[in-house]
Order: sequence, then structure tokens, then C-alpha cells
Amino acid sequence: MSRKNYWFLVVILFAVLSIFICTNIPFQLGLDLRGGSQLTLEVQPTEEIPKITPNEIEGVKAVLDKRVNGLGVSDSQLQTVGTNQLLLELPGEQDPSGAAKVLGETALLEFRIQRKGTEVKLRDLQSQRNSLESIIKLLEDNNNSAQLIKEININKEINQLFENYSINSDQILNIDQFNLLRNKINSDIADLFDATPLTGKYLINAGRRQDQNTNKWEVTLSFNNEGGELFADLTKSIAGSSRLLGIVIDGNSYSEASVGKQFETAGITGGAATISGNFTADDARNLEVQLRGGALPLPIDIIQIRTIGPSLGTQNIRLSLFAALTGLLFVGIFMILIYKLAGFVAVLALSFYSLFTLSIYALLPVTLTLPGIAGFILSIGMAVDANVLIFERLKEELLNGNTLIRSIDASFKNAFSSIIDGHLTTLISCITLFYLGTGFVKGFAATLGIGVVLSLFTALTCTKAILKFLMSFQGLRKISNFINPKLIPSPSINVQ
Amino acid sequence: MKSNFNVQLYKNRKVVWLISFLLCLISVIGMLICLRSTSIQAPLNLGLDYTGGTQITLERSCTDDCITLNTSDISNNIIALKGQDKNFISNTPPNLSSSQIQLLDNSKLISIRLPFLSAAQSESVVSAVNKSFGPFINKNTSVEIIGPSLGEQLLKSSLISLFFAFLGIALYINFRYDRRYSFLALFALLHDILIVCGVFSWLGYLFNVEVDSLFAVSLLTIAGYSVNNTVVVFDRIREKSLIDNKLSFKYQIDKAVSATLTRTLYTSFTTLLPLICILIWGGSTLYWFAFSLVIGVIAGSWSSIALAPSLLSITSQKDFD
Repeated sequence: MSRKNYWFLVVILFAVLSIFICTNIPFQLGLDLRGGSQLTLEVQPTEEIPKITPNEIEGVKAVLDKRVNGLGVSDSQLQTVGTNQLLLELPGEQDPSGAAKVLGETALLEFRIQRKGTEVKLRDLQSQRNSLESIIKLLEDNNNSAQLIKEININKEINQLFENYSINSDQILNIDQFNLLRNKINSDIADLFDATPLTGKYLINAGRRQDQNTNKWEVTLSFNNEGGELFADLTKSIAGSSRLLGIVIDGNSYSEASVGKQFETAGITGGAATISGNFTADDARNLEVQLRGGALPLPIDIIQIRTIGPSLGTQNIRLSLFAALTGLLFVGIFMILIYKLAGFVAVLALSFYSLFTLSIYALLPVTLTLPGIAGFILSIGMAVDANVLIFERLKEELLNGNTLIRSIDASFKNAFSSIIDGHLTTLISCITLFYLGTGFVKGFAATLGIGVVLSLFTALTCTKAILKFLMSFQGLRKISNFINPKLIPSPSINVQ
Repeated sequence: MKSNFNVQLYKNRKVVWLISFLLCLISVIGMLICLRSTSIQAPLNLGLDYTGGTQITLERSCTDDCITLNTSDISNNIIALKGQDKNFISNTPPNLSSSQIQLLDNSKLISIRLPFLSAAQSESVVSAVNKSFGPFINKNTSVEIIGPSLGEQLLKSSLISLFFAFLGIALYINFRYDRRYSFLALFALLHDILIVCGVFSWLGYLFNVEVDSLFAVSLLTIAGYSVNNTVVVFDRIREKSLIDNKLSFKYQIDKAVSATLTRTLYTSFTTLLPLICILIWGGSTLYWFAFSLVIGVIAGSWSSIALAPSLLSITSQKDFD
């Protein structure tokens, strides 16, 4: 094996390796290509914590991380942006407002004890709640039917309730207004109870299950040791009495439980409790996620939401890929027409270049987005430029009457400084963009930057290696094979 | 030995300057008109990314023959939400009457632009439009909500990254060549960027084309491309002045430009090819991105072939030794 073909073998080896990587490691597609939601959350300062430090951001992120995992969206990503923002990507999630609700709410869990002398009031409120709940259930079962709402609308008692809670009931009511009313009643119920030291901070886990008999969803809680003791004390103090234990979340009472006489001596031990409000499966899941994640140390504000339908994405990726490939095909035809065999060498080198680049994308991995694909296409432009620079120099060297072999060496040497300058200036803007840009600007910078570095590599090694390899064949070693002789008017190179 | 081309740049330098001057003038005028216009009030027609707001895109589930909808009907439908929908009953409801509605792709897509809404509010809009103008392909619904502060931040970060990219490039050329080359390369770059911005200010003024964050990306790419092109020519001028130092500097510049002309034209052409393919087949998402790059590549080729070298010829050779 001669020395000049040694490099050619290395290039082929790299290419085979790249094909292996590209076919075995899947590419990471960005949200714009696979569909999903992207939320930007801003951490808000409070009176107690007026300045947001990286430490606080980490705290918020940890809680959000738990909640995101609880949502069960696979491949979700949560990253810090700037000094007070978090970027959350939920691939495949088409309902970002539901997710946003779960993420943004604090879910403060409290256990309260009923105040003495509130029995009558509590019974009234509970019966109001019960009738509201049956209306809500009825509406849900009948798909929020307008006819049904009309019937309920003329119900005097219900109308009175809406008036009492100053909920605007001038228009036709809908299920949301009934839910709102129920929450207001729940909040009034909570006000009949006194706070205790037992809160959500003693929770170690939350879960949900469906009651075998009633088919209703329940949220189960388990406390740490300290919380378990507090819970035992609490239940002991009201065991056998008429006072109830209220489970209050964010100021609304979800359920009020009595504690049986049998717990008078020790209270309910074992550190576990169940909340059996009127939960749907979704309610129970959301509550579970919020409770398990703990309370957010700082409030968050959702400042941006993007949702992209999956087929809009796939359509875009197909169109862009098609456009890019067609463009490259034209570039290839152009190069071969202009430069003959040298142009063919360039096409080969560019194919290797594309393979290397794609395998680096898969390996790193680079998340491919539409701007990322644009960056890739542009980096191919850079790679073509390097080849054009070399071949133009080659033509000049041949014009000056040099031999083919010497011309090839000289062309690489002479084009080097232009190639390096052009690539480095582009690389400088890529690095700037990568550090200062956010989101997809970063993706663009990453793909273009990788492209620039690899283009430098392929232009200086692959093109040369392939050229030299082809030159080792006697039959090809004519100038007229490599460069279109018509483009070189000098008689000195008319090799017949 | 004869070269393929024999460009007489020095002789025609005043024509080159006049052309560039006129192009820049038209660009500046376009930006001033946009700045003065009541609907834009900025040098460029800034899109959702920079101003903040809500963009909802709905895909109708009709195949080939989508009946055209009246956009003002949709607009009225949205305005009717105010005071009716629970998400819009508040002390400061968003201004729903400022919605902009467009039908795209033969009425297949409905694009709705609104002020900044909450997630729940945008959902109310989607379901209201769905009720009256559906059916839609729900899974293809796209909603973008960008808070006003985020838009401002994006604009700021785009400008900052542009500035630092320029600074980095200038420092590099300063280090590789000298201050005058670096100054002229930056000058050529600003010329290219000004022209691209000018084209988009006119497009924004006449056809309501908006610039998004991809536009900032394209400006940076153009900056890199323009400098790359200029540097190749400068590199050749320097080489020529080292070899043929008997010739006058003006003649060396002409020779260097002639020698690199084929390369610059080929390279511009091969870069334009994929971009033009994206313009034709790439779908709507990348259309204006590719368009700004096409303008930038053409302007960049012009400035590196004609403008930058002809400006270099004003100075005498010994300034570069």
C-alpha cells in the first residue's frame, strides 16, 4: 500500500463507521419536527426573596422536575435560561395549558380541625356541595347539554346560591361556573376549620387509587416520622367527638372526615392518610403530582407557550429535506459539469462530509430543528466553497504549466489561507451565537459550527486523499480528465 | 499568462460606489418609512417573537376544496368571547378586537394573531373558532404565546449576539491582516446587512412581512458569509502585492479580483442553489429565512467582488506593507 492511498483508506473507514452510526443511533428531533409543547416559565421574586439567585432557580427546578416526571411525558426536558427563566419541552404533549396548571400551582396541603359550634353551618354547606356535585356529574354525563343547563337555570335554590357567591349568572351557565361555585363553597367549609401544625411539608409520598366499591378516585398520602406523630396526635384529639378533620388544599376543603372512637388512645398511627374528595381520574393525578412535588419555593409565571402539531412538523421536515437534497443534487451536477473528474471528487468528498456531519449529530447528540437543518444546508455551502477554492487554484497552477501532481499539491497549499480565514470567521459567529443565543438559535449555531469544523477537515484531507487515489490509476492521470480543458485556454496544457 | 477575466474595477469604481450608495439609501428610506408608519413604529416590521402576543394556527379538515371563510366573521366570533367566556371575565381583559386573521395555503390554514393571552384564554379562542368554523384537525393545531418581556429580551439578545459576532470577526481580521482590511471587511458586512434589512423593511411596509428570530439568525449567517467572501479576495490582494510588487496597487487589486471572480461566482451560485430550492419546495416555515439569505448572498458577493476591493484602492499600497 503506497503512502498516498493510506489516507484514502482512512477516509473510507470513517465513512463506513459514519454509515453504521447514522443507521444505528436515532437522531434527536426537536419539537418543531416531532410536535409537542414548549413552555417558558419565569420565576417571580416575592417580598421575602426579592432577588432570584441560581440557588433559588435550582430549588424551583427540582420541584418542577418532580412534577414534570409525574405528568408522565417521556423525553421531557427542563433547562435554565438566563437568570430567572426555565424552558420546558414536552414532546408529544398537545395540551400545554393542562400541564401548565399542574406545574404552576402550589398545592398547599393542610390538615385542619373543625371549630366547635359550626356543626349546623357545616351540614348546610356540605349539602349544598352535594347537590352541586350531582349537577356537575349530571352535566358531565350528558356532555354539558344546553337543555339540561336551561332546566337547572330556572332552579331557584341554585340561582340563590350563585347570587350569594356573587357569581355572574346572567348568561346561560356552564359546567365551569358550577365548578367555581363548588370551589367557593369548599373554601367556606375550610374557613370553619382551625389550622394545625400538620402540613404538606411532612409528606414523603402521594399516590392515587380507585376505591373498589364506589369506583371513586382517592389520593393517598404518607408522612415522615414527625408528620406521622402529628397525624396520630391530631386524630387522637378528635377521636370519637363530633368534630371533623378537614383536608384542605390551597384553601379549599376537599374532604371532612370523622375519626372513630377506637382511635381515642393512640390516634391513627402508621403515618398514612387518604383524601377521598369527588375526584375524577385526572383530578386525582394532578393532585398527586402537585403534592408529591412539594410546594414551589417561589411562584412561577408562564410567559411563553408553543404547541406544534406533529404532522405540521413531519410535513416540514419532509419538505425541508427534499429541498435540501434537491439543492445538493443540483450542486453536484454543477460541480461535475464545471470541473469534470475533479468535480466528481468534490461530490464524493461532500457526500463523505454529509455522512460525517450527520453521524456527529447523532453521536453528540444534536437536537435537530428546522433552523438546525438550515444550518446544515449552509455548512454544505461552505464545504463546496472550500472545494471550489482548491480547484480554481488547481486550474491556475495548470495554466502556469505545472504538472498535475505538482499542481494538486500547490493548489491545496495556496488555497489553505483563504479556506482557513473563511471558516474561522464563520466559526467565530457560530460560537458567539451559541453562547449568547437561546433555544433554536443555539441549535442553528451548533449545526453550522460542527459543519464548519468538519468542512475544514474534509476539504483538506478527503478531497486530497480521493484526488491522489484516483491519480494512482494510469488511465486517469491526464489533465483533461480532471479539469475541463475548455476552461483553460492556454496551449501548454493541451495534452493529447 | 492570461486570466479568464480582466476586471477593470479601478476604472469603474465610481459606478460601484454609486450603486452601493443608492442601494443603502433605498434601504435607509425603507427603514425610516417603517419607523414613521403608525402600524409598525420600528425600522423593521417586528413579528411575534419580538413584540410578544399569541399566534394560533388551525388546520381545517377539508381536502382540496376548502370553502373560503370571511376573516371578519372569525374576528367577530373571537370578539364575542369578551364578557361571555369565563377566561375573559376579568378586570383587564385582553383587547380581542385587535386580532389579525389570515387564510393560508388555499384557505386550508387559519392563522390568528392576538395580543398576549394566557394558556386557558387561547384555548377558549381555539374552541370558539372550532365551534363556528370547524372541523379542524385538532392534533395539528399550533399555539404560540410569547410574553411581551420575552420578546423584548429576544430582541436584546439578538442585537447583543450580532454585536459580539462582528467584534470577534473584526478582531480576527485585524490579527490576520491589518486594521484597514478589518475596517473594510466590517464596512462591507454592514453594507450587506443594511441592504437585507432594507429589503425587509420594504417587504414589511408593502406586504406586511414580519421579521422573526430566524431573521436574526440569517443576519448572522450573512455576516459570516460576507466576511468569508471579502477575506478570500483580500487574501488574494495581499498575495498579489507580495509577489508582483512592481505593479501599481490599483492594478494588483484588479488582478486579484479577476483571479477570484470565477470562484466567487461559483460559490455564490452553489450556495444559492439549495436556498432557492428551499424557497420553491421548503414549505412556508423557512420561506422568508431562505429569502433573506438569498438577498444576503447576492449583496455579499457584490460587496466582496466590487465594493470592498474598490474602496481598498483609495488607499495607497504602502499603508498595507
